[in-house]
Amino acid sequence: MSRRRSSLIGRILFWVLVVGILVYLMFPFYWAFISALKTQSELIRTPATLWPDSPTFVNFRSVFSNDRFLRALLNSTIVATSVTALSLVVGSFAGYALGKMRFRGKTPSLYVILAMTMFPQIAVLAGLYAVIRVLGLPPMPSMILSYMIFTLPFTVWVLTSFFRGLPVSLLQAAQVDGATMMQSFRLVLLPLTAPALVTTGLLAFIQAWNEYLFALTFTVINEKARTVPVAIALFTGQVSFQEPFGEIMAAAVVVTIPLVALVLIFQQRIVAGLTAGAVKG
Amino acid sequence: MAQAQRGGSPGARRGRSLLARMEERTALFLLIPSFVILILIAFYPFGSVIWSSFTNARFASGEPTRYVGLDNYRRLLSVTIRELPVQRDASGAVVTKDGVKQYESWVRVLPRQPYRYRAVFEFGLLGKRFVVGAVSSAFVRAIWDTVVFTVIAVLFETILGLVIALTLSSNFPGRGGMRAAMLVPWAVITAVSARIWEWMLQPTRAGLFNTVLSYLGIGDGSINFFGQADLQLPSMIVMDVWKTTPFMALLLLAGLSVIPGELYEAAEVDGASRIRRFFTITLPLLSPTLAVALIFRTLDSLRVFDIFQIVLANQRFSMASYAQYLLIGQRELGMSSAASVVIFVLIFVFAVLYIRTLGVEKE
Repeated sequence: MSRRRSSLIGRILFWVLVVGILVYLMFPFYWAFISALKTQSELIRTPATLWPDSPTFVNFRSVFSNDRFLRALLNSTIVATSVTALSLVVGSFAGYALGKMRFRGKTPSLYVILAMTMFPQIAVLAGLYAVIRVLGLPPMPSMILSYMIFTLPFTVWVLTSFFRGLPVSLLQAAQVDGATMMQSFRLVLLPLTAPALVTTGLLAFIQAWNEYLFALTFTVINEKARTVPVAIALFTGQVSFQEPFGEIMAAAVVVTIPLVALVLIFQQRIVAGLTAGAVKG
Repeated sequence: MAQAQRGGSPGARRGRSLLARMEERTALFLLIPSFVILILIAFYPFGSVIWSSFTNARFASGEPTRYVGLDNYRRLLSVTIRELPVQRDASGAVVTKDGVKQYESWVRVLPRQPYRYRAVFEFGLLGKRFVVGAVSSAFVRAIWDTVVFTVIAVLFETILGLVIALTLSSNFPGRGGMRAAMLVPWAVITAVSARIWEWMLQPTRAGLFNTVLSYLGIGDGSINFFGQADLQLPSMIVMDVWKTTPFMALLLLAGLSVIPGELYEAAEVDGASRIRRFFTITLPLLSPTLAVALIFRTLDSLRVFDIFQIVLANQRFSMASYAQYLLIGQRELGMSSAASVVIFVLIFVFAVLYIRTLGVEKE
């Protein structure tokens, strides 16, 4: 009897915990979303309300007619896509070499790559900024190039361990058939690595999409090249007297939805990629 | 694996040498693009940061750049502790205000040569009052703040992450949905989450927290979370914990999933309580994963930039946001480089210490 009761209490406590966690994780989004639906006068009214009195899309409409914001969306898409593509191409070459080939200097190369995955961006900021100023490189190519500092080592590292896991017999079979190293890479290994490429590509894309330090620093002068994080951090309304939080929240919702969709579709892959290396199975 | 390759007999090695040489050449060829990029964006800039940290380089300055040795480091890191004398009036009596002894201002005790020191903070010890002064009080304070931020944030993230991971490791309907929900804060742009929290923490009751807290009878509905010095760091910690706990929980969840279930069954048969099972099975077997997660998160928090820069701007700095401010706000290339090197060294030392004590390298 008492045992059954204690298990019932345990069950209730468990579900309280589950709901509590869910609310904790999701509430800020709920708040951003309902704030975006509020009118300016309701936003500054105190106390704050849990649901808008008269939901309106006016904030969303002004966000979508804000040229600076739309431009930032385009910039971010270009930058993040280019960084991802470049890292995958360059990274899969290096990953193939490090994972499947024998050569002198392999171990040191692996150590360098691993060390680079932990390298703090701030340590190169001043140097990169000076290089870019001297070369007169425009902000977008600068961002694309410099983001490789965090996407490339990670991509190489993950792809190396992936290539290493592929059976050697496949390669040997291809070589027996007369394929060169590059042909066996392109025709045999690359199709097999598609899942790993998707995972690392997604993680690289999200990292590049989120990046703020370099983006802020490199676009100080050139406002047109700002990416989404910088645009949101420095958001000002069309006519701004005070910080237009209704529009900021609308912009926050707009940039979050595609990312969340992406994450939900590929969640298995992302979890696998994030936890790779952290757990020795 | 490398060992096994070297183990081949010399004859066999020579026999394959043409093929081996071709393979070696292909490998180097494939590695070139990665290393060229890394040299361009990491090694060369890092070298130039180290070099300019010993110079007085500034942007947009007519002054020629010259070597100044350790000057920048001295200016960034000079710290001194001085006792504050008790304040006395003309007759020599101790000045008190509401029964509390008054002390002289730090301006009178901190050195002004060769650089002017400013107060970082004051503290009382054994009935005396001291002031900690630094030439770059903002940077010294930023180091201190970042370390405090890191320790507390990572602690909370670990505890909360563990709670979430343990909850999600049991089987219940809707578990998949919960796991998906966990990825959401992780995927959100840090700048976006900073703005959302900034809005929730508004200093009026238009903000969520002030509204809720005033209903609960805490505060008067106008708590200034970002303006009040003692609430700035806690606010940053709350924001960071929300954003990064899911990552911690995911790692720990993956670690939990590889613990064999038979261990728990055996322990249950032996009559071990749930708490006992946690401490004797779960925690020891989870510790390698926990160690890796702690290292990831600590190294990440030590270089925190986004939330400090966005929410606190120039009111209060993290190490990284101060280095960026020196570069862009003050155009002090030399000083900023020195600050970056200090951050790099700190993170490096921390990483090595951490890895040593936790023994990750043994894997």
